Amino acid sequence: MLQTPPAQPHESDVREPPGLAASASDPRGLRRYTPVAAGGLLLIAAFALQTQLYTGQVRMVTTIFTFVGLAAAWNLIGGFAGYACFGQVGFFGLGGYATAVMMTHGHVSFWLALPLSALLAGAFAALVGWPLLRLKGHYFAVATLGVAEGLREIVLNLPELTGGGAGISIPSMGADAVTPWFGNDGFYVLFLLLAALVVAISGWLSVTRGGYALRAIHQDEDAAAAVGINTTRVKTLAFAGSAALTAALGAAYAFQQITIFPERLFDVHITVLMVVMVVLGGAGTVAGPVVGAVFVAYVSEWLREQLPESHAFALGGLIVVAVILLPQGFTSYLQEARKTRRFSLLDNVRRYRL
Amino acid sequence: MSQFLQATLYGLLQGCMLGLVATGFSLVWGVMHVVNLSHGAFVLIGAYVALTLHQALGLDPFVGMLPAALVLFALGYGLQRGLVNLVINAPIFITLLLTFGLELLFVNALMVLFSADYRSIPTGYAERSLVLPLDVRLPIGRLIAALASVAITVGMGYLMRRTRTGLTILATGMDRGAARLMGISARHTYALTFGVAAALAGAAGAAVGAVSTFSPADAGRFTLFSFVAAVLGGLGNTSGALLGGLLLGLAESWGGQLLPGTLINAVAFGMLVLVLAIRPQGLVGKAYYASRVEV
Repeated sequence: MLQTPPAQPHESDVREPPGLAASASDPRGLRRYTPVAAGGLLLIAAFALQTQLYTGQVRMVTTIFTFVGLAAAWNLIGGFAGYACFGQVGFFGLGGYATAVMMTHGHVSFWLALPLSALLAGAFAALVGWPLLRLKGHYFAVATLGVAEGLREIVLNLPELTGGGAGISIPSMGADAVTPWFGNDGFYVLFLLLAALVVAISGWLSVTRGGYALRAIHQDEDAAAAVGINTTRVKTLAFAGSAALTAALGAAYAFQQITIFPERLFDVHITVLMVVMVVLGGAGTVAGPVVGAVFVAYVSEWLREQLPESHAFALGGLIVVAVILLPQGFTSYLQEARKTRRFSLLDNVRRYRL
Repeated sequence: MSQFLQATLYGLLQGCMLGLVATGFSLVWGVMHVVNLSHGAFVLIGAYVALTLHQALGLDPFVGMLPAALVLFALGYGLQRGLVNLVINAPIFITLLLTFGLELLFVNALMVLFSADYRSIPTGYAERSLVLPLDVRLPIGRLIAALASVAITVGMGYLMRRTRTGLTILATGMDRGAARLMGISARHTYALTFGVAAALAGAAGAAVGAVSTFSPADAGRFTLFSFVAAVLGGLGNTSGALLGGLLLGLAESWGGQLLPGTLINAVAFGMLVLVLAIRPQGLVGKAYYASRVEV
């Protein structure tokens, strides 16, 4: 019953990005800017979309932008470096609570609280990442999960500062408000810009030395260290960056919600949704998390409307089917299928089967 | 003093049960490198099977451990053979996501079938307690549950080392390629492992149902307990899981006396992270699983 070893799932990582490869053969060197132009067009389209939506839809699309940002941020550590961080929601909650506490108790402006929260989460991630990033595979996943749950318990047990289980409300109106609330349209723009920032960072990273270092670590950490990559530093930086971006989104989310609760801001389902989005879209790619996040967030919201009783049931079934049929993610599947002309999803199932 | 002894006793009894919950989880992780996020749901399915049998036939929940184990064995074997084996060689996110999807399915199915209310299986004797010297109380139900858990866990450890099937499972866990060359069917062995793990969870669930209340929403809590106990004890090691469960039970009941609120949970997670950072192979485990070769 011996089978050939399964094909490496991240073959595409070792190739040069299409942009750089093209610039050699293409004298104008314009093709390397195609992704940038596509991203810019998408951004303009997203701004144009806002004028066509009514209020309920604006909120839904804002949720989708939030998840695009979260998925792209998780992709930095989970997709590029291949470290399955299952505690990402801890940074989301940390950012949200840091902002809420700063705005409520310190009367700090939102525009100052957001970068400070991101810095705080980044520093925290660097601190815990230094010992934990020595762990591999499941051990890292479980350890980060433990960190997130521990953070939630700490927030829950500091009622003077965080309001505990009863939640904390950011003053958003009247004389108390340090920064007035932005309204649905304001948050649409804020989350759109944050998501665009995260995607742009991951796009930039994917063609820099640091991005190659992360992919090398993903493929074989010992070999990466052998060619001179300071793996500890690269991993810790990626982890801290991913945490800081996640915390920035958490900060914006907290202000959008006004009142936040530990149960919601440290909900492990948010981590799982991030992972589902990245895996289904294509881990370690720039476009994958965006595609996955738009699809999964839309389907999840749609299910919530159509099946209020059993949407979690449907979501579970969807995850199971999608994971079996598209284990390498949609964008990677499309890339390989176009190259090999084999579009059968059954080939996918055969790939990782025992 | 009496309060401290009471907390210690309670923690030990609770720890034995957590050990049984964690044993199956640890087995699956150690042998197949699959972190089964639906393990807590298996525990609850076991509890609801025992509840249904109690309501329909008046079966005692401790007797109900056996049918619960059988039902869960069939479910686990089928799941591994039909689903998990399909992605067993995929990167770790995939199996994590798959079992998480299964957890969502099971928990919601339980909510639809039995509602989200807290239930318990009344027995008439489990509530009574023996009074020991120094006014320490020993609840009979928890005593039976703890003794049964220890017996099953120790028995499992014996069977794993002494029977052909057990050795097959261990061998496949150590080196799947070599095991296949010896004529072992890895698909069947993996399914068997998952079935046994689910059966242990089911038996634990029936015992949990007899001594405490439960609801479908508890699934995540049981999975997390299994995580902590399995990591503390070292993976794929039945006596390790029992030890991890005892440590966790003691930490919880002592911490409940000393710390305010739910801060004890933070301590448990801190312990988990610390053990992982310092001694990832667990307190009594050996780190040989990491070096195996995939074929």
